[in-house]
Amino acid sequence: MFHKLAQKIDQIKPVETVEAHCDIPCGIYDPHQAIIGALTVIRMVDLMEKLVETHSGEKVEFHNSMARYVSVKEEHAELTKHEIRVIWGDFIKDAHVEQYPQLHGLVHKIMQLGSKARQTTDRETALALLDAVNEFAEIFWQIKGKETKRVKAPYSVSEEIVVPDL
Amino acid sequence: MFRLLKIRGHSLFPDFREGDFVVIARFPFPAGQIRAGDVIVFDQPGYEHMIKRVQQVLDDGRAFEVRGTQIDSTDSRNFGPVSKRHITGKVIWHIRQK
Repeated sequence: MFHKLAQKIDQIKPVETVEAHCDIPCGIYDPHQAIIGALTVIRMVDLMEKLVETHSGEKVEFHNSMARYVSVKEEHAELTKHEIRVIWGDFIKDAHVEQYPQLHGLVHKIMQLGSKARQTTDRETALALLDAVNEFAEIFWQIKGKETKRVKAPYSVSEEIVVPDL
Repeated sequence: MFRLLKIRGHSLFPDFREGDFVVIARFPFPAGQIRAGDVIVFDQPGYEHMIKRVQQVLDDGRAFEVRGTQIDSTDSRNFGPVSKRHITGKVIWHIRQK
């Protein structure tokens, strides 16, 4: 009865809401986007190198293609950093860090590698970024109680990626 | 002195469900202080108007460790203790859905 009354009041004059929220979307965390971001960085470096080696046409086309590769590389290195930061900041708790004391250092390493991947066209850096994100993904899924496996990415870049064994 | 609020989110599920209403006594409260187990409403800087359960009273009642019920609840594990000056009120009546 009281709930119906409160609903009536809410209909007449909307009642202010108060947030009892988890991170939104509630409970949905996955490092997959970070892995996709790191793979994309590798792919962009490959495309940039290939363009330099093979391009013999108009200069303007070269610059257009190169600019697009650089832009996507920037965007996806930042996406990788963002996705890891969200999981680290919102999902990871003190108890997880006690269990995996390397977590803070690993996240810092990903931040640095992500920045270096933006600054350079070094393929080794891009691979190191993916490697660190894979390591983070393994820890994440262990915390979630899920087994993981390493599989070859089914894309133009076929590096190994960590996926949950669901 | 009193205020009706509607709950959004699942951080306090199953104790409080999305769509439940609460009546809060606005701070300073007419009776009693905040104790562990109380449910409070507060404005944490950088976050929204939030509702959580007090887990621990700190610093002689000047700060409060708050918790949700879910592993990924956004609570003091994320933003630290809630200062007394950020508290809007204490839940005195929980109006549940059927």
